[in-house]
Amino acid sequence: MNEEFSVVGKRIRQPDGPAKATGEAKFVGDLRMPGMLIAKVLRSPHPHARVVRVDSAKAMALPGVAAVITPDDLGDWNGFDRGMKDLPLVAGGYRIPPEEHVVNRTARHYGDAVAAVAAVNEHIAEEALSLLEVEYEVLPFVLNAEEALGSGAPQVSETAPGNIGKHLSYPYPEGDVDKALAEADLVVEGVFQTTKQDHCTQETAACLAYVDAAGRLNVWSQCQLPHLARRELANIFNLPVKKVKIMTPFVGGSFGQRGSVCAEPVAAALALKTNKPVRLVFSREDNFLGLESRTGFDKINVRMGFMKDGTLTAIKTYMLGHLGGYMGCGPMSSVIGMTLSMGHYRCPNRYGDSDMVMTNIPVSGAMRGFGNDAMMFCIEQLVDEASEKLGIDPITIRRKNTKEPGETAAMGLMLESSYLEECMLSGAEKFGWNELRSRPKKDEGRIKRGYGMATMSHCTGAAPLYLEHSNAMVKVNEDGSVDLTVYPAPVGTHIWGALSQICAEELGIRAEDVNIVTGDTDVTLFEYGSDASRSTYAIGGATLRAARQAKEQLLAHAAAMLEVPVEDLLARNGRVFLKSDPDKGLSVGEVCYDAIYSFGGEATNFSGKQSFEPTWNSPTFGAYFAEVEVDTETGRVRVPRFVTAIDCGKAINPMAVEGQLEGGLQQGLGYALTENFVVNETTGKVETANYDSYKVPGTLDMPHSEVIIVDRPDPKGPFGAKGVGEPGMVGIPPAIANAIYDAIGVRVRGLPMTPERILAALAEKGEAKGETQ
Amino acid sequence: MFRVLRPFEYIEAESVDDAVELLARYGADARVIAGGTDLVISMKKRELAPKYLIAIGHLPELSFLELDPDGALRVGPLSTHAVVGRSPLVKEHFEMLATASNEVGTPQVRNMGTIGGNVCKAGPSQDTPPVLIALEAILTLKGPRGARTVPMGEFCTGPFCTILSPDEVLTEIRIPPLPEGSAGCYKWCTKITSVDETLAGAGVVLTLNADGTCRDVRIGLGSVAPTAIRARQAEDMLRGTKLDPEEVAAAAETAFTECMPRSRAGYRRHMVRVMVKDAVNELKDKITGERTMGDAGEGAR
Amino acid sequence: MKTLAKFNVNGEPYELIIEPNLLLIEVLRDELGLTGTKHSCGVGNCGACTVLVDGEPVLACLSLAMAVRDKEVTTIEGLSDGPHLHPLQEAFIDRGAIQCGYCTPGMILTAKALLDRNPEPTERDVREALAGNICRCTGYVKIVEAVLAAAEAMQKGAAR
Repeated sequence: MNEEFSVVGKRIRQPDGPAKATGEAKFVGDLRMPGMLIAKVLRSPHPHARVVRVDSAKAMALPGVAAVITPDDLGDWNGFDRGMKDLPLVAGGYRIPPEEHVVNRTARHYGDAVAAVAAVNEHIAEEALSLLEVEYEVLPFVLNAEEALGSGAPQVSETAPGNIGKHLSYPYPEGDVDKALAEADLVVEGVFQTTKQDHCTQETAACLAYVDAAGRLNVWSQCQLPHLARRELANIFNLPVKKVKIMTPFVGGSFGQRGSVCAEPVAAALALKTNKPVRLVFSREDNFLGLESRTGFDKINVRMGFMKDGTLTAIKTYMLGHLGGYMGCGPMSSVIGMTLSMGHYRCPNRYGDSDMVMTNIPVSGAMRGFGNDAMMFCIEQLVDEASEKLGIDPITIRRKNTKEPGETAAMGLMLESSYLEECMLSGAEKFGWNELRSRPKKDEGRIKRGYGMATMSHCTGAAPLYLEHSNAMVKVNEDGSVDLTVYPAPVGTHIWGALSQICAEELGIRAEDVNIVTGDTDVTLFEYGSDASRSTYAIGGATLRAARQAKEQLLAHAAAMLEVPVEDLLARNGRVFLKSDPDKGLSVGEVCYDAIYSFGGEATNFSGKQSFEPTWNSPTFGAYFAEVEVDTETGRVRVPRFVTAIDCGKAINPMAVEGQLEGGLQQGLGYALTENFVVNETTGKVETANYDSYKVPGTLDMPHSEVIIVDRPDPKGPFGAKGVGEPGMVGIPPAIANAIYDAIGVRVRGLPMTPERILAALAEKGEAKGETQ
Repeated sequence: MFRVLRPFEYIEAESVDDAVELLARYGADARVIAGGTDLVISMKKRELAPKYLIAIGHLPELSFLELDPDGALRVGPLSTHAVVGRSPLVKEHFEMLATASNEVGTPQVRNMGTIGGNVCKAGPSQDTPPVLIALEAILTLKGPRGARTVPMGEFCTGPFCTILSPDEVLTEIRIPPLPEGSAGCYKWCTKITSVDETLAGAGVVLTLNADGTCRDVRIGLGSVAPTAIRARQAEDMLRGTKLDPEEVAAAAETAFTECMPRSRAGYRRHMVRVMVKDAVNELKDKITGERTMGDAGEGAR
Repeated sequence: MKTLAKFNVNGEPYELIIEPNLLLIEVLRDELGLTGTKHSCGVGNCGACTVLVDGEPVLACLSLAMAVRDKEVTTIEGLSDGPHLHPLQEAFIDRGAIQCGYCTPGMILTAKALLDRNPEPTERDVREALAGNICRCTGYVKIVEAVLAAAEAMQKGAAR
């Protein structure tokens, strides 16, 4: 057993486990306050329409209705960018125009918010909603990116001429990609399409806002970036930041959706208008219509050039994404996607472009993987194609082009560590790759089996593109316990446990002796928040440094108490003792107590406070292996088995890391096979706005999953840790696609890979059994 | 969709006759409620807004599951899908009904939803109707003018339309015994995930002569037409034949043409063709005691 | 018209005056303050609102409160007794089967009904029983492991 660490690396229970297991844990929708009103949002039934008039007389006349907000009531409330990228968060002057309002004068998609009500209970609020009479001027609409780019297409936004919200290029181009493609021994290329995927957090969006007697807007929010939400709400409602307070209870999942403000603007607006607490909880339909979902790419062109020995020499990409009615976090999907995927392999000639196009559909944004998933779906299939054409094993060709530490990583920074090779080899062994791939091809009949793999790398935090500023404060109590003040998003990633472990390891105490103080912008220092798989790394980095600061004080005081040089002391398992004579020491509590209750004029409470802004970015690597069964008569794909091997540095809590990968497998499987956000091409109506039509994998859809954690420390991360929130899903669709190819010899280039697509691909190949049309 | 329901009066019927009388009294403003899953969802969507709900879910006279001496199964309409699906009686004598019942919704929905509610809803995408049609079930309806029986095949007239009068209550589903030399199975495929609405379903009953030729075949198809239907032309093609692969494939092809699906039409038809072929072949093997091709009723994946 | 309705929830009797159009989930959460039962999809697909009625898992968001007046309703709050957790709750915590926690109450109650009916389930049995409970965080792996571990612990406990 590895005794290098006493706390880090252990499979500890999460501190919030009992609260969640007993139902005691409170989510926003569980909170109540005296006099609280319930809010509901009216959503446009048209994909593009001007709200000419809202007649709220009947609604206001209903007893129990406290307020209605229409586009006429916005007063001096400012427009905003829900993704908050109009704040100084993104390097390079990237800005998103703040076009969205609390409720919108022009609805830009089916389900856009056009009015809101607040009433004494949910029944009256729903009744009031149905009493609002809205006159719409229906406008022409456009639903897909290609059409939106066409001349004469209806314009979605004045800030996006030709409907191009953003034209963004790959930020790290190198070499001469066209020349390299011309000179390559082999060019593989394809046109791909990826789908808009909904996060489907089990808890829908919710917010409880109230104005207290001091005139402060207090907001119970689910936002992953609470300090940023604070600024955003202050900005919308023309309040000084000090007049806004954000608090966070437990949050039912996020996966990137709550990196934007969701229910907050409407709830806050109604709270300000009524001067009463207002709770807004979205229905599941509200969630599908009113929140961001993963940016879908109508088209991704990829061309890759290889030499005959398998060396990758060129990658050129073009992405055409649809943003929906507002820009939100969507545009960065292409930049992040291109950056991470095109920087994954060593390749001296790289170029990429994207058009992120506005359309009249619900908004696109950030979801776990943030574009890397879409791009790796393309790139890893093309690598497989090259491996076949060049006669080189898929793992060998990838190993050949894998970057080594010391090279430049995807985000333009130096690659500190990489164990991708070990991921590939250990994953292959566990999976039985060599035996399975070299099996004799025999006629398997109707059900064909296939085996495929893919690799990926993902960022840990988004330096240098996004602001990576985190803070942590540590206070040591007289019993040796610690209060750790940090503000990661409590969305279920087991981050509290990880931060406790990091803090405890450094201070020499137990993880269960760390109390997380969080959930309040008054109490916490500035925190960018949780996204981009950054929390363990950046917030953990701040925690480590703050704990170290407190430890220095602890050891110095202990040295004085024990009358020994401070260098001779070690803190571990709740004690401070001599390295040379472990029995000689004191408990951490005793040292702290002595420092607090001291009459000598030097009383002190050991503490640490550290601001931390990592300027490096240690990518996490993964290798993914899928076994599929394709029923060639029905086109159905089953995935009986999946192996994921991950290099996320040192696993602070292996159980939590497994949880991220196992959970990512569910979302990756959905993205690959079952989830499809469908907008009716004739009416612009969203047809998949609840779980009866939008299908996420359940217990019977999941493969047998095995996870390998390579567990080698990265030099930069806290105790060697890197991020792991997103990688769990990035490599899944291409591994499955490559396995499908191995099974039936067809490449599926669109997501999701439905039975109809499989049968159509087989038909094209001349192997389908019977027509489907 | 809304999260709460519009106001209504809730009246617990004391008996079936009482329920009938209440329905007659309140007319179009009233609905019976049993398990309530479908009804509550419709009410949440504001598709329905009954002012009176007549609760019948507690009436013992509607809760039974009995095998008659002649081998007919009488199913009380309040039997939940879970009860039907787990019933040793059903599994032994009419396994295809158990299979279909176990496919409805989720485990929780199966604990709540009743076979009677399912049949009376007459939604186009359901599992029990194609099975009941293939089993030639007889429904008993009770109204103020007395009771009448209706074959399942005549009960549904269109999506969500049945011949049940607003003042009638379904009181029994009777499944006649299968002839000697018969077996049945239910094949289905879901729309997308394993637990999902049915995209296409085929309830097939096959009866063989002693020489192995097809004496009778009944093919009930669900989710591929406005109501569950019998693929009568396909049936006609198979009767009297030896059920050779070509004959079965041709009949499956005919069943393909007898469907009238709306959405994903091509794939639904294709699945009907695959499932009818699989079902007939499987039942033929089962009856003649040859090598079994997997469990009867296993869903095509 | 409001009516006096008697309920039995987690072994406790309650008398409430309610409108008949209240769903069970509203009575539990809003009238009784038992917020462990969660809203999620509202159309019967996700299982977040699962409670036990006479020991069987049903959906509180599709059940009329009036229909369960003479039945025993069990919510997640009824499973533990102060700090004494049900073996399923312990197993879920021990095995990392809880991430965001939102699906957890429904998941645990459905699992409890399974173990009450089938104390030695196979993995397949567990997956089938939980097929109507959606989790978006865990991929179900540790949930299934926790249910099997709890089954084993309960068998050992019963054997003593």
